[in-house]
Amino acid sequence: MLNQIGNYSLYIALLSSILIIIQSPILLNRNNINVSGRIFSLISIQSLMIIISFIALIIAFIISDFSNETVYTNSHTSKPLFYKISGTWGNHEGSLLLWLLVLSIFLLIFTITSKNLSNKYRILTLFFQEIIIAGFLLFILFTSNPFMGLFPIPNEGTGLNPILQDPALAIHPPILYLGYVGTSIIFSSSLAALISGSVNKTWAKHIKNWVLVSWIFLSIGILLGSIWAYYELGWGGFWFWDPVENVSLMPWFCLTALFHTILILEKREMFHSWAVILSITTFSLSMSGTFLVRSGILNSIHTFANDPSRGVFILCFLFILITLSIFIYFFYQNKIKNNFTKTYIVSKETAVLVNNLFMMFFLSVVLIGTVYPIFLEVVNNDKISVGPPFYHKLIVPFLIPFLIFMAIGPNLNWIKDKINKINLQQLLFFILSIIISFIFLKRVGISYLFSLPLFIASIFLFLITIKDFSVKKTNLSQKISHFGFSLFILSVLVNGVLAKEYSSNMKVGDERKFLNKTIKFESLKVNESKNYQSLEANFKISDKNNSINLKPEVRVYDQPQTITSEADIKSTLYSDNFLVFNILKNDGFYNVRYQIKPFMIWIWISIILISFGGILSIVKKNG
Amino acid sequence: MKIKILVLTIFYLIGSFNLSYAANSEKVDQISKNLRCLICQGQSVYDSQSDFALSMKILIQNKIDEGKNDEQIYDFLKSKYGEWIVYDPEINKNTVLLWVLPLILFVFGGILILRKVSIK
Repeated sequence: MLNQIGNYSLYIALLSSILIIIQSPILLNRNNINVSGRIFSLISIQSLMIIISFIALIIAFIISDFSNETVYTNSHTSKPLFYKISGTWGNHEGSLLLWLLVLSIFLLIFTITSKNLSNKYRILTLFFQEIIIAGFLLFILFTSNPFMGLFPIPNEGTGLNPILQDPALAIHPPILYLGYVGTSIIFSSSLAALISGSVNKTWAKHIKNWVLVSWIFLSIGILLGSIWAYYELGWGGFWFWDPVENVSLMPWFCLTALFHTILILEKREMFHSWAVILSITTFSLSMSGTFLVRSGILNSIHTFANDPSRGVFILCFLFILITLSIFIYFFYQNKIKNNFTKTYIVSKETAVLVNNLFMMFFLSVVLIGTVYPIFLEVVNNDKISVGPPFYHKLIVPFLIPFLIFMAIGPNLNWIKDKINKINLQQLLFFILSIIISFIFLKRVGISYLFSLPLFIASIFLFLITIKDFSVKKTNLSQKISHFGFSLFILSVLVNGVLAKEYSSNMKVGDERKFLNKTIKFESLKVNESKNYQSLEANFKISDKNNSINLKPEVRVYDQPQTITSEADIKSTLYSDNFLVFNILKNDGFYNVRYQIKPFMIWIWISIILISFGGILSIVKKNG
Repeated sequence: MKIKILVLTIFYLIGSFNLSYAANSEKVDQISKNLRCLICQGQSVYDSQSDFALSMKILIQNKIDEGKNDEQIYDFLKSKYGEWIVYDPEINKNTVLLWVLPLILFVFGGILILRKVSIK
């Protein structure tokens, strides 16, 4: 029953898509017709149908309707309700339906909020957006249908990968998708603006909100994924330069660059083409991200479900969209106003260009690092791995000038600024950062040449962004985001330099000395939970003044049978105490890994600050 | 001449960064962090608790005890398991583009900006 509802509503949604695509060119030639007529009702019907199908799938998961193949392969009656619901998008079919849901709802919002813009621009945006929606509908209906029936109906499902049964990961995909899918509106609207010749101030003003919304969701989505990896994967790291992580970072770089460019376009009517190119690139990266993750050609810890034949479909679809947009770009680019006003080297405009240059560089490092191994394997069958050392070597040297530019750039004036304004105050801060870095590195005993400039640059940025709160010229949301970024870099650095780690094989009752602390393996007990058994250890970490207890677990899930290690983490403002243990083969011994991670919590807080700046900017403008 | 100095400084910086990257951690940890656990999905030998990773760590320890230096150990592992095992691809004719392409793009973009803006 639910399967039929889901299926039919998806077909109706596809039909609406086709109707809109056919009708748009006709409506385009009649200037007096308002979009909010027939097309609007079609879009509403489409969204409604997709919402119905999504709800049908959620209900199927909640009531464990095993006549549905997706539910059967991804759920189990013994699973807690929360994870039954989140299981809806914890698999390939369901997550694509979620993509589609967000696509159509975003389009509806776009249609409603763009009423005061030109008809041609709106219809064209709808047209491109509907092509994307139709593509996804076809993809879902013919390669990844979440409403496949099963007969005879099994009594029990096979369960959700336990590693995914986690609160952060339950909301991580929807948030990330909101970011990804937001870029589709940017893509469609930039093509529409290009064709209708309206790449200008008004467009910039309108699309800025969409850029911000996507950017905020993407930032928070990445944050959630990263927090999850930190406590669930059990390594104590938060970023592994894993291909699937990289794929979410790439559109982020692009969006950040785009946002800064859009600001210039809005204020100074410059960089029109560049803004369009960035819009197209951002969406292409989001789509390729989906392709890379879903096709299974990446070797990644995060690859949970994949199927190569689906990859081919997304690849073709992506190819068509990119070709289409390149064609449109070259065909219509002469419509772009080219009133290139003179830009002086010391100006805000140049500062944004420099920001873009660095963003594009970071993007290219991550992009090339992620896809190069795939190409190399195809071309001459050589398998290479590109991991953290590669990214660190290429990104870190460029981070130093980037941070310094970021400190100076926002304080520059539009059009032309005086060079001697790089003034005494800044010089003073710079000298201060040199002193602080020098003392700090001396105290922690690190004397390598390269860490010094990195610390100087990041402390310099940190001080400048704090000082900037007293300057009236720039707006508050920018100050918060930039301060958040400087805090982020600084926390990552301090965390990297001061993190301490101890690993040993222990059995119950053992005691180990580490730094000035004693780690005692006090006890071990077995707990029964609804859908897993757990082995809970109790460790006491004590130094002279105080002691804490950490209780990591090893869980044995029954459906499907999987063993996971759950780290126990005690966070304070200064540092995290992180402990994880694993079962070893020799009886009675457990591998114990204890880590002290200074300023860990500030990494999360700083990313929240960065996103908060964006939220504030939206609220302020509309409030 | 200027370019020569620039190139030398960059290489020097990258080199010294390698050193700092390797700081604080013990040799085995440091080497195993740069190795892919071949039977896992996207985990390093250091992070993995699989049999493969455990025996790998013992192997590295033995090599260190034999007095082998980092380079010799990496070379040994590469000859045994192939380039796939190291996370830090060396620069050779296969990987030169991987390392150089981002740098070329940066220089290209930089030139583009310098041509657009007027100095005075």
